[in-house]
Amino acid sequence: MESREGEVDIFEHSQRGQDVPDGLAYRVRIDGEGFRIETRHPTGEQLLQTVHKRPCAFELIAEFVHHKNDVVEPKEQVDLRQKGLKGFITAHREIVTIFINSDPYQIERGQRTVAEILAKVGQSPEGYDLFEEKNGPPMPVSPDRPVHIHGCEIFHTQPRSGGSS
Amino acid sequence: MAYPAEQIEELRPYCKKVSALTEGGGVFLHLEELRLPEECEPAVCDGLLRPLAGPDGYPSQLYFSRQVKLPYGRNWNVINARICEKNWFAFSWKRTSGTSRLVGILREHLAALTQKS
Repeated sequence: MESREGEVDIFEHSQRGQDVPDGLAYRVRIDGEGFRIETRHPTGEQLLQTVHKRPCAFELIAEFVHHKNDVVEPKEQVDLRQKGLKGFITAHREIVTIFINSDPYQIERGQRTVAEILAKVGQSPEGYDLFEEKNGPPMPVSPDRPVHIHGCEIFHTQPRSGGSS
Repeated sequence: MAYPAEQIEELRPYCKKVSALTEGGGVFLHLEELRLPEECEPAVCDGLLRPLAGPDGYPSQLYFSRQVKLPYGRNWNVINARICEKNWFAFSWKRTSGTSRLVGILREHLAALTQKS
């Protein structure tokens, strides 16, 4: 059941209840779309990258026959030859990772205040300005406006200085 | 006074072109098409950064090529000031930090655009 230059389609084998043979590459369904994976043991992060997603915002879930699902951690290696593996789906995380001054922090997805974000690094809007790197250089974030967190956002802080004179 | 090349390099992501201008013994950095914070209108305009203290008493100043619409009211006390052959606008804002790094100075002035007071 090899096709497309030695690809083994793991979904087809799972549907037939067959063991997955060794192959040069594996045809793997992620979110319903087929991708060529050229290793038997990809990590969760590698599979997410295949669909241009990152573990700071998304999690990967392995789908098996008989409606069994397992979350795959980013560094966890998956055996694509394990029996019953149908493929993978991705889901937006509720608790995502953001980066503040290059360090990762966990935060709930959705509308967050600047104060909540600064609190992650023990700072407050009274003493620090928050800057977000989004399609360009770090730009200031107004302390009075909510920040929509999707995951993977990059922030910097800088001591607050000055005022109207 | 010339600024270190690496500090000039740090300004480049914020604008299309950086060039040094001098007038009256002072050095200004012309920031062509400077990006402004999201809440500002327009999103881009030319800027003129004076990183050092000047005759106005401020330790630094960021001039804009036009009066920018900001989320909070500001005292625009510099209107059509003629500097380096162009007209510039600035609002009253005094930095209090001691940073001398150009990108730090620029970021403080940009942050002032979005702060309430």
